Amino acid sequence: MTLLTESSPGLLTEVLRGDRTRRPHRDDSTAAGLRAVLEDYVFEIFGSERRERGVIISSATMCRGDQSRATTDFSLGRARGVAISTLLRLLVAQVHVENPYDDALAAWRGERPNDELLSAVDHLDADQTARLRADVDAHFLTLARGIGTISSNWWPRTSQRANQMLGGGNVQLRDVVDLVVGSTYSDLASVVLVDVTTSPLAQGAERVMRFHALVQTLRVSVVPLRTSIFSSATGEFWTLDVDNELLVRAVDDLVHTLAIVKDAP
Amino acid sequence: MSDLLQRRLSTEDLRELVELAPAQSTTINEEHRASLASRFRAVPNTEHRRLDAWMVEQAGRTPGPFAWSPATARRILGNNALRRVLRTPDTILNAVRDEIADQLLRSVKGYARSGSLGHWLAGVSHPVLGLITAEAVNWATQTLECVRGLSVTWRVPASDVYYDVAAARTTLRGRRDVVIGDDAQRVVVRIRSGSPGKSAGPGLRSDLVVETLAHPEGLAPRRYLGLWPDAGLILGVEGTMENVRSGARDFIRAAVVQRRHNLVRVV
Repeated sequence: MTLLTESSPGLLTEVLRGDRTRRPHRDDSTAAGLRAVLEDYVFEIFGSERRERGVIISSATMCRGDQSRATTDFSLGRARGVAISTLLRLLVAQVHVENPYDDALAAWRGERPNDELLSAVDHLDADQTARLRADVDAHFLTLARGIGTISSNWWPRTSQRANQMLGGGNVQLRDVVDLVVGSTYSDLASVVLVDVTTSPLAQGAERVMRFHALVQTLRVSVVPLRTSIFSSATGEFWTLDVDNELLVRAVDDLVHTLAIVKDAP
Repeated sequence: MSDLLQRRLSTEDLRELVELAPAQSTTINEEHRASLASRFRAVPNTEHRRLDAWMVEQAGRTPGPFAWSPATARRILGNNALRRVLRTPDTILNAVRDEIADQLLRSVKGYARSGSLGHWLAGVSHPVLGLITAEAVNWATQTLECVRGLSVTWRVPASDVYYDVAAARTTLRGRRDVVIGDDAQRVVVRIRSGSPGKSAGPGLRSDLVVETLAHPEGLAPRRYLGLWPDAGLILGVEGTMENVRSGARDFIRAAVVQRRHNLVRVV
């Protein structure tokens, strides 16, 4: 089942968990095969020689694909992204958010007081600060309406990190999934991955969803149930069931990206 | 060099590592303890020294000053919350909130000393408290995910293990997050974020030696397992005399390097 929906309160949480009776069985056999296939491709691309510094692939790399990075207002965009990701963590922890911009910055400062980006935010002029504040407030409103309340019975974890090495360290897959619900232990597939982006959803978003599913599969050796992405810019929510076809496409995306970034400085 | 076990971090692999651990582990005696103490005494120190696996992994370099943050608080709060959940079934989020409330209460009553977790929590803003909650929930959920499939009983210990080396002004600290099985047949698990580096093996052996020294009868655990959930890996060492000796040697080396650094700093 693949759903591409406009945000609708109440629906998103239903989409995340779906109908329990229709969930597939837990798949813990695919991961080993995927890893072997990936190792073969990495060997084909990089050879047996060990690079001094491994190529790092993240969801941002996958999202950009072969397009160059847009530079306009990059710091503001990143700051907005960090603020929204922080606010999502507060929402999932069922913390009352009184003033989104101030609360996000306070939490961010408490977590990484010496962050360069945070220091850049502190030095914004009044106009830029007002713009960022308005942006964060608007995105938070969309996020809070779209995500709703995540039940703590669903085992929600936020900002879940993964770090997978391939080719003896020649390739590092680094990933952070904004929200993960469900358990890898149950007999039925139940893990759902949710990425929250402050950009409108475009072609790169599907690659990101597949990348999250692939890295999560490699990390825990169990195939997740769904992979989703929510845009706090537009309220759009895309979700894909994770199956073999999706994972094979994720491997193709990764191999394509590796071939591009291999010789990048 | 003794072998380092490596597996993917899955319920089945962890179960196998626990169930197929060697039935017997080594035991150290008073002679071993005295020998270790004399070696530490041979590395004189002006201040009380504290050594742990992290310092062994960092080749004896003293870590920077400790500061509380959501990341440094998550392990204590997460493990305490998990103990609550095991005692009285509830959601992890509620257990973390109860744990934070307890810490705050202790601070309000004046029982939290300056620099303690309770003291720090009492001074942070509401959003930071939310982030701390999120981090602790992540830690507890992750730990439970790792061990809930085990068929053997397990517990979350109330604290790490410490061993004071006699007359050497030295305290060794061993990290542990879950103890599986009964005392005589235990397998100890510690959980780390990030990916294991080249020094992960020496780090595990260091924890193994402290766990063994701190045991009243000097009985080593059958296995000491390190779980790296971010990397999806388990590394482990067995409770053999070879591994215990190797861990002890690494501690002595760390003490020597630390002393050298301290001397350079003074000069």
